[in-house]
Amino acid sequence: MSEIASREAVAPPVPRRRPRRRDETWFYGPAAMLIFLLAWEAGVAISGIPELFLPRPSAIVVSLVTLFATKGLAYDTALTLWRIFGGFLLGSMIGIFLGVLMGTSRRIFATTDIFVAAIYPVPKISLVPLLVIWLGTGDLFLIVLAALGCLFPVLVNTITGVKQCDPGLILAARDLGASRAQILRHVVIPAAVPAIFAGLRLALGISIILIVAAEMQTARYGLGAKLHLAGQILETGDVFAILLLLSLIGIVLTKVQSIADRFVGRWRAT
Amino acid sequence: MPAPFAAIAVTRLSHTFESRSGATTLALSDVSFEFPAGRVTSIVGPSGCGKSTLLLILRGLLAASEGEVRFLYGAERQPGPPPRMATVWQSFNLLPWRSVLDNVAFGLELGGMGRAEREARAQDAIRAVELGGFEKHFPGQLSGGMRQRVGLARGLVMQPEILFLDEPFGALDAQTRLYLQEQLSALVERSGRTVVLVTHSIEEAIFLGDLVMVMTARPGRVAATLEVGLPRPRGLDAQKTPRFGQLFEEIYGLLRDEVRKAMLERI
Repeated sequence: MSEIASREAVAPPVPRRRPRRRDETWFYGPAAMLIFLLAWEAGVAISGIPELFLPRPSAIVVSLVTLFATKGLAYDTALTLWRIFGGFLLGSMIGIFLGVLMGTSRRIFATTDIFVAAIYPVPKISLVPLLVIWLGTGDLFLIVLAALGCLFPVLVNTITGVKQCDPGLILAARDLGASRAQILRHVVIPAAVPAIFAGLRLALGISIILIVAAEMQTARYGLGAKLHLAGQILETGDVFAILLLLSLIGIVLTKVQSIADRFVGRWRAT
Repeated sequence: MPAPFAAIAVTRLSHTFESRSGATTLALSDVSFEFPAGRVTSIVGPSGCGKSTLLLILRGLLAASEGEVRFLYGAERQPGPPPRMATVWQSFNLLPWRSVLDNVAFGLELGGMGRAEREARAQDAIRAVELGGFEKHFPGQLSGGMRQRVGLARGLVMQPEILFLDEPFGALDAQTRLYLQEQLSALVERSGRTVVLVTHSIEEAIFLGDLVMVMTARPGRVAATLEVGLPRPRGLDAQKTPRFGQLFEEIYGLLRDEVRKAMLERI
């Protein structure tokens, strides 16, 4: 009998961080990008396409550096990031809070679901005129707009996550003496975390889209505003430079999110 | 010395489930029984006979439609407030995002015990179920048998006066089940606490029980109560004794018709 026990118990107690093997295709993507950029550079130089239509990658980098060095793009970047995260945090916090309420109380769900169903499908960018009338064109308007965009994906995902909680876990917690508040805090909300994170991932993308789009329409400063302006005065190099910057911001945020995901979901790695 | 543990007396217990469509199912009908203090009572019955429902009612996690559950203390069997209780579940019900240590300490944490003390107690419980060295593992990294030992440690660390076992080995393979049955048998014999075991395995009911309560198919009623009377400590050889075979036959005889009824009902 003890054979079974010892066979099971022999496993070494080092569960985490198996050395992640780098697969041998890791450089394919970067190499493809490099070749693409070189072809672009050479293609523009050989064919003589005017800079107005398609600047060379090297010129775009120069434009980006110039924008930062002499035209205060750092201020615009900081402003845009503040608006993106302000709206994201505000909307997400409200979404999680309402989602937990709606997911745990049938009465609250029955009362409020019709409002969610009515407002969720409205494209949030179409709220710009109304929000400008109410709030003007300042930061408050932009942050509220992004918050509205972030609220619903987080809300809907939180409701799903909370409702999907395994009833067996709640039973076990009650058996161990958990109060309603403790069940919520220690069982229901942690169980909903993967779903909530999926909602947050969607929300951050929506916040970026809404802020840049609204800045293009209404703002004087911010990456969207500068992008719009550069387009109007046919500074194609600046347009590309700002697009490059937006792309870099997107890459960094996606990476940060996947690190956060891995940290929060580390118990799922078996 | 009389055991300080509590007996559970149920009188005229009935329970009806109501589905969303309004259809009602009578799960338990008129169950009266006394689970004696400091002894192991096994409940066997065909699937769907309401034995798990009965366990939830005894544990106080489900309010019965009718009837009464009382806890009796001492030789005079004085009724009193519910004692400390803990349950081990068929599907383990461990919190997958908590380590083994944090799962075992969970009940103590809920009760407001400080970190140092609860972790020390959880360590002891983990060692008692032979899982020392696995404190930092997550449940998803353990085998079924190890997970159920975590479930057992999580219950034992609460020092329950009554321990409920809801088909604790139902989800495990045959060898693991045998081994855990032996381990549990030893733990139960040492503690002398009141245990209620729900199982669909006749062997398990006899091997672990002092008393076997046989239930009928739905609606569940008490068909018979048998005194096991096998000496403790029991090893696997207990299963080869004539008494074991006799009990098995008797219980199977009681259950056979009920199992058939339960099967026909599901067709």
